[in-house]
Amino acid sequence: MRQYLLKSLLQVIPVLFLISVIVFVLVYCTGDPVSLMLSDTATDEDRRILIAALGLDQPLHVQYFTFIGHLLQGDFGNSFRYDMPALPIVLERLPATFELAFAAMLVATVISFPLGILSATKRNSFLDILFSGSSVLGKAMPHFWLGIMLILLFAVELKALPVSGRGSWEHLILPAFTLGTGIAAEMTRLIRSSMLEILNQDYIRTARSKGLLESIVVYKHALRNSMIPVVTIMALQTSTLIGGTLITETIFSWPGMGQLIIQAVNTRDMAIVQAAVFVVAFLVIISNLLADLLYSVLDPRITYN
Amino acid sequence: MKKRLAGIGLAAILALSTAIVGCSSQPAATTAPKQEPSSQAAAAPAASGNTGEKVLTFASGSDIVSFDIHDHNNTSTEAVHVNMFNYLVRKDKDQKIQPDLATSWEIVNDKTWRFKLREGVSFHNGDPFTAEDVKFTLERVATDQKLLEYGNYKQIKEVKIVDPHTVDIITNETEPVLLNRLSRLGSSMLPSKYIKEKGWEEFLKNPVGTGPYKFEKWERDDRLTLVKNDYYFGDKPKWDKLVFRSIPEDATRVAELLTGGVDIAVNIPPSDMERIESNEGTHAVTGPTQRVMQLSLRLTPGTVTENPKVREAIDLAVDEKAIVDSILGGGGTPTRTRVTAGNFGADPGLYNQSLYDPERAKQLLAEAGYPNGIDITFSATSGRYLKDKETAELIQAMLAEVGIRAKLDLMEWSKFNETYKAKKFGELFMIAYANSMFDASLAFDRLSTERAKGESDYSNGEVDALLKEAEKNMNLEERAKQYVKVQEIIAEERPQIYMYQMNANYGVSDRIDFAPRLDEMLFADEVTLK
Repeated sequence: MRQYLLKSLLQVIPVLFLISVIVFVLVYCTGDPVSLMLSDTATDEDRRILIAALGLDQPLHVQYFTFIGHLLQGDFGNSFRYDMPALPIVLERLPATFELAFAAMLVATVISFPLGILSATKRNSFLDILFSGSSVLGKAMPHFWLGIMLILLFAVELKALPVSGRGSWEHLILPAFTLGTGIAAEMTRLIRSSMLEILNQDYIRTARSKGLLESIVVYKHALRNSMIPVVTIMALQTSTLIGGTLITETIFSWPGMGQLIIQAVNTRDMAIVQAAVFVVAFLVIISNLLADLLYSVLDPRITYN
Repeated sequence: MKKRLAGIGLAAILALSTAIVGCSSQPAATTAPKQEPSSQAAAAPAASGNTGEKVLTFASGSDIVSFDIHDHNNTSTEAVHVNMFNYLVRKDKDQKIQPDLATSWEIVNDKTWRFKLREGVSFHNGDPFTAEDVKFTLERVATDQKLLEYGNYKQIKEVKIVDPHTVDIITNETEPVLLNRLSRLGSSMLPSKYIKEKGWEEFLKNPVGTGPYKFEKWERDDRLTLVKNDYYFGDKPKWDKLVFRSIPEDATRVAELLTGGVDIAVNIPPSDMERIESNEGTHAVTGPTQRVMQLSLRLTPGTVTENPKVREAIDLAVDEKAIVDSILGGGGTPTRTRVTAGNFGADPGLYNQSLYDPERAKQLLAEAGYPNGIDITFSATSGRYLKDKETAELIQAMLAEVGIRAKLDLMEWSKFNETYKAKKFGELFMIAYANSMFDASLAFDRLSTERAKGESDYSNGEVDALLKEAEKNMNLEERAKQYVKVQEIIAEERPQIYMYQMNANYGVSDRIDFAPRLDEMLFADEVTLK
């Protein structure tokens, strides 16, 4: 196990290196930050001065090695927009994004587990058809549309919840539902199919033939064993969640990393983009590692020796 | 054993994640100590708080960029800063220059202006405001080439301290627009002692000014909170607290206004204005801005737009009034000059005018030798200005009606800006310019032979001479006439075709009175509770 952990963590290094190259090249290929920074009245000389001051007149490979050199010291450079080190700005946003992501995952779990289990145990019933249909609908609704509809209904019409911003738990409800609905839809379908497969296994028939209560058969024997694909999907949802926060945070004016990334891309704030991508990559790697470890907890037959 | 190892692994990862969160949840760089939790701030209703304190809440589409008053060129950031800082002179509601931190001024010689400073003024931290602060502030922006406002202040050579409350501002050349320069973005007075002692980073975390409201807390991309400065030198601040919220999504910003979450929402889409007006408790307000939407043409030899008749045909083909009425919901004024009403040197004869005449445009094309029409490239932004994409598409259709087949190239702003700065557009591009100087000099900056080279390639010796003379002319009456003459020539030769002055749309709570300013600044003390 220890070796596996060490090996997994070592594998992170080349992945991060590769990400650094991709991000650096992509950011430089897609635009020129100097144009966005200069005012309309700036002269060619002002432009040259700014380019030199930012070190953007150096060849691309020199800029990359400078970037990597700083990166190894934990320095992602200064944000053009904020004129401050980029990494602390990104990290400052993490709690808000974590809060939203955890709430969305909670919403997804609370919705998907009962619906998935009911769909599986009441296969082909009216409920199963209803829940499966709802799953398709939930997956199909884009975040920006759902978010605005929820605002119009619950905040503007019913005046039951705040429209936007971060503060009390009430502020969290609409963005968490917006972000969590799509994940809930996917998880419901997965739990249903996974449960159906397990419920047809011989050991479930044996459990039932022993005269065990149906609830014990379903929740103790079937559910735990159907969790492996569900945990995999939950881990993979980390990137979906972060992707979803880009739109959800913008709609709900949620001051998290998603909104920061959108603005950084729009303003070609390369330092912020690079720092954010590294943080996201790190989070995705960690969540996948977490999922791997959870497998062995859920299924003792899985070992990492 | 395996389970124990798995448990340890899990715990390690959780600890690592917690450490990341822990590191990031240190007091935010911009948060002043001992602040109220954000939940309380969020829960406070607009206009008057639960505790009876008077709170004014604004919502705009973007957060302020920085507290470095010299290192941004963002109108919406300055609109917030004006509540925290003071200039030496300020523009009143009618854009007339009034004393602010300077009580009087005189011209000593061609290149020297003497300013008498207000006495008894303190910064929010208690430091007195003196001539040292003026010297520090203006010399920083006039000498540090990395600062974004450097280009607008490099005209200042030095600031000489005459006595603790008198300064001489010495310019490189004669500077008739110095007062305009000093009453705009980049001229807020900074606390030199505080910055020298604590450092620039500390100032950016806990900014200090002389204004009616002082910094309390900044949660990036969420809200900036200011509280009243009880020791303000001017009239007593009208509000206890100001909250500037950043709500990028238009629909959300409008929803916040409709539900009473904010008092004033800026940048309202025209399609939402009626809804705000008909909603109980809110009303819509619109007002002119300094921005003019225009078409820039290329006069480079070999292009069809080199021909003045083709340029005139383009001008006559565009129905500015139809654009304003159908796309902007009436939120704009057709104009044939970029120097609109309220600016020094404005020519009223060219304002609120449109020459739309498609039949004459067709004739002009035929006279120019193109009876079968012409093909041109037309570049425009998408998403940068209010309804820019729709406007460009309508212009394309209007041009097509007279036989000008424009290939429309819609670009996202950063791509457009890159092409613009590289001067790589074809025959026609659409752009909106503002004028924070409130002076004609800035409006024609790009039309001198030197500056136009590569972009429009416009060159007129008379315009060059007039611009050069006017730039340094201290005889203001004569100077205004020179700019009027330039406007007449430009309107005739059309290197740029001005279309309409853009309005700014606001949604306002019925609890307050708010009148938009031409410069789009949001002075809280100009807003009153009904």
